[in-house]
Amino acid sequence: MSEVCPPPSSQLAKNVTVTNHEGLGSASPAQRERRNLRSPGVSRRRRRSDHVGYLLVAPLFVLVVGLVIVPAAFTLGESFFNVNELNPPVRFSGLSNFRQLVENSVVRMATVNTAVYVVVGVTLATLLGILMAVLLQRRFRGRSVVIALLILPWALPGVIEGIVWEGIYDPNVGLLNSVLTSLHLIHHYQTWLGENRFVTIALIELVQVWQIAPLSALLILTALQVIPDELYQVGRLDGCSSWSSFRRITLPLARGGIAIAMAQAVIATLNVFDIPYVLNGTAPTAAPLTMETYLVSFQDLNFGQGYALSLFVTVVTISISFIVVKTVYRQVEY
Amino acid sequence: MTLMISNAKRMKPCALAGITCLLAVSAASTSAYASSNSPEGATTDATINVLMPDPPPPNLAAFTAKTGIKVNWENVDFDSMETKIVAASTANTYFADATDVDWSVAGEYAKLKWFYPIEQYLNVQSMMPDVAQLAAFKVGSVYEAVPYDSSFGVTTINTVMFKKAGITSIPTTIAEYTEDLQALKAKGVVKYPLNIPFAAGEWLSTYWYELSYAYGGHVLSTSGKPLFTNPSSPGYKAAAWMVNAMKTGLVAPGEIDETGPLAFHDLVAKGLVATTFQDNAGHVGTLYDNPSASTVVGQIEYIRVPGLNGPVAGLDDPDGIGIPRTAKNPKAAAALIAWLTSEPSQATFAGLNGAANAWSAGMPNRSSVLEQLAAKGLAGGRFLLAALKASQPAFSPAPPVAYPQFSEAVYTNLHEAAAGTESVAGAMNAIASVANQIASEGD
Repeated sequence: MSEVCPPPSSQLAKNVTVTNHEGLGSASPAQRERRNLRSPGVSRRRRRSDHVGYLLVAPLFVLVVGLVIVPAAFTLGESFFNVNELNPPVRFSGLSNFRQLVENSVVRMATVNTAVYVVVGVTLATLLGILMAVLLQRRFRGRSVVIALLILPWALPGVIEGIVWEGIYDPNVGLLNSVLTSLHLIHHYQTWLGENRFVTIALIELVQVWQIAPLSALLILTALQVIPDELYQVGRLDGCSSWSSFRRITLPLARGGIAIAMAQAVIATLNVFDIPYVLNGTAPTAAPLTMETYLVSFQDLNFGQGYALSLFVTVVTISISFIVVKTVYRQVEY
Repeated sequence: MTLMISNAKRMKPCALAGITCLLAVSAASTSAYASSNSPEGATTDATINVLMPDPPPPNLAAFTAKTGIKVNWENVDFDSMETKIVAASTANTYFADATDVDWSVAGEYAKLKWFYPIEQYLNVQSMMPDVAQLAAFKVGSVYEAVPYDSSFGVTTINTVMFKKAGITSIPTTIAEYTEDLQALKAKGVVKYPLNIPFAAGEWLSTYWYELSYAYGGHVLSTSGKPLFTNPSSPGYKAAAWMVNAMKTGLVAPGEIDETGPLAFHDLVAKGLVATTFQDNAGHVGTLYDNPSASTVVGQIEYIRVPGLNGPVAGLDDPDGIGIPRTAKNPKAAAALIAWLTSEPSQATFAGLNGAANAWSAGMPNRSSVLEQLAAKGLAGGRFLLAALKASQPAFSPAPPVAYPQFSEAVYTNLHEAAAGTESVAGAMNAIASVANQIASEGD
C-alpha cells in the first residue's frame, strides 16, 4: 500500500513553520512596521531596559572573556612560538609547531583515531538518542524513573565508567568473555582491546556512546515533547503509518534537538580522553588527539606544540559543530 | 612516572599494617627524629601544604605537636600531581611546600631547577649510610629529594607450581629461568607461566630496564645515548626475549591489555601465572599472602633476579619527597621531610610500634628499620634487606632529562612489538631515535 501521508510543510503548514536557523534574527515586515511606530517614551524605556540587560550579562561577559577568549587568544599566539621547557628560550617559530605536528606519525595516527571516534560516536549516540527519545515520548507509568536511570551513565565521571568497563573487557577475568563463553559463542577468552586498532577504538567508543547517548536522548526528547498531538492525529487521518509519522512528522520537527544532540556528541567525541586513557593507556593504537595534546604538553613539556594541537582540536570542533548545526538544525514554530 | 597506567609502581605494598600483624610487635617508645637532620630555624606555627600520592601517616599529629607546624596533606593520584607540578612550576606559582618526587623525574627536575637541592635544608650525608636509595635522587652533585620508602626489582615465583613442574632448583640464570618457564607450560601446570605487563605503561618500561640489566647492562650510556640497537646488546636481547615469550605462549595474550597495576599483580595473587621476572619487593607477606585477595597464600617467594651468568641486583624504584622552589615555607617543609624520613618515624610507619600508626606508603627507606622487621620475622625480610643494600639505580649516572618522553617511547613501542604491529628491531630503532633526540637536546 502506498503512503499518502503528506509532509508537514504542505497540509500542516497552517500550524507549523520550519525554518533554518538564519531566520532566528529576522523580523517580518509587519514586525518592523510595528517597531517603527513605537512612541519616544517606549523607546526610552526600551533603552533603559537594554542597559539593565547589559548590566545583567556583564559578569558573564567578563567570565567568558577571562576564561575563554583570553586563553584562546593566548593559545593562538603561543602556538607560533617555541615554548619548550627543556629547550629554552621562548622564541618565534612561525608555523614550525604545526609543521612538526603534521610530520609526526603519532599525531597523524591520533587524528585518524579521533576521526573514527567521532564518526562511530556521533552516529551511534544520535541513532540511540532518537530511539530512546521516541520510546520515551509517550507518557507511561514509571517514565520519570526510567529517565532518571537513563541519565545515570551521563552523570558518572568518564574515569569511573572506564574502570567499570575495564572489568567487562578484561581479557583474563572480564565479564564479556565470561558471558560469551557461557553462551558458547566463543571457545577461548579473547583480548578485546590493544590487539586490533579499529576494534579497540570501536569498543572504547561504545563506552563513550553509553555515556553520551542519554544526554542525546534527553535533548531530542525535549524537542519531541513540544510537537502537538494534533499533528499526529491529522497524520493518522491522512493515512500515515507509524513509520511515516516518524519520518514525516517526528524527524523533521525534532531536527532542532537532533542538531544540538549531534553537536554535543561531536564535542564529546572530539575531546574524548579519560575513557581511552583508562581502558588502553597511552598506546598510540587508540590514542585520541587530546591525549597527544596532554602528552606533548605535560610529558614532553613542549607547550608550543601543545598549543598548536589544542588550536587544531578547537578549530576542528567548532567547524564540525557549525557544519552539523547548519546542516541539521531547523527552527520550528508552532 | 608519567601516567596513570604508569602508576604500577604506585601500587607499593599497601599492607605494612599486615606486616605489623605478622610481627605482633609490642609497642616501643617513639623517640624524636634525629636532631642532626632537622633543618635549622624551621618555622614553628606555620602551615604547609603537602601533595602526595599516599594518604597521610596516621601519626601526623605527632609532628604538629612536636614542631607546631600544621600540615595540610593532600592525597592526589600520581598523574594529577605530576600535572600540577608541571603547570605550577612552569608558571612559577605556588602549589605546595613539599611534594612527591619520583626517582625517574629527578634528572628533569634538576635541569629545570624546579626543586631545591635538598641538601640546602637537610643533612643528607648523615642519612647516606642508612638510606640506601638516596643515590636514586642524586643528579650531578645535588639531591632532588629524599626517599620516604624503598622499592626495587625482585623476581617472584610460585613455589608450588615450580614443584609441580618438577623444578627442584631455583633458577639463577636467564637460560635456566627460560627452561623452567617452558617446563611449567609443557607440563600443563599453568597455561601462561610468565607475567609481563605488556599494556602501554611505565611497568613495561621498568620491566625492560631490569631484564636488560640482567642481560648485562643499562639501556642508555652515561651520556644518554641508546645502547640497544645492536641485536647482541642487552637491551635488544631483553626486548626480543619479552616479545618471544608472548609469541610462544609463555605470556597470556590478555596481558597486552591488562592496564593498571592491580590487574598485573592480581594475576600472581589469583594463581594465573607462576612467576614475575620484575616484580616489586614487598608483595610477599602482604598482597600475595592476604587471604581475602590471594588464592596463593604462602606460595610466592622472592628469588634473586636471574642474570646472564648468575643473579643480578634489582633496580631502584623509590619514591622521594622534595621541596619545590615555589614553596612558601621551605624550612617547615624540610622539617616535615626530616621527620617523615627519620629512623624512628620509619619504624613507626613499618608497624614496629604497633599497628595503629602503620603507614601504607611502602617498605621503609632505612636499612636499619628493615633489619628490625627482618629480625621480627617479616616474610622474606633477610632477602629484602640484602636486596635493598645491593639494589642499583636504573640509569647511570641519572635518568635522562626527558625521562617521561623516553619511557613513553619505550612502553608504546614494546607494546606494539608484543601486539605484533611492530618488529623488535623497529621498536628498538624507534626508541633509539627518541633517546638520541633527548640526548642531543640535553647537550
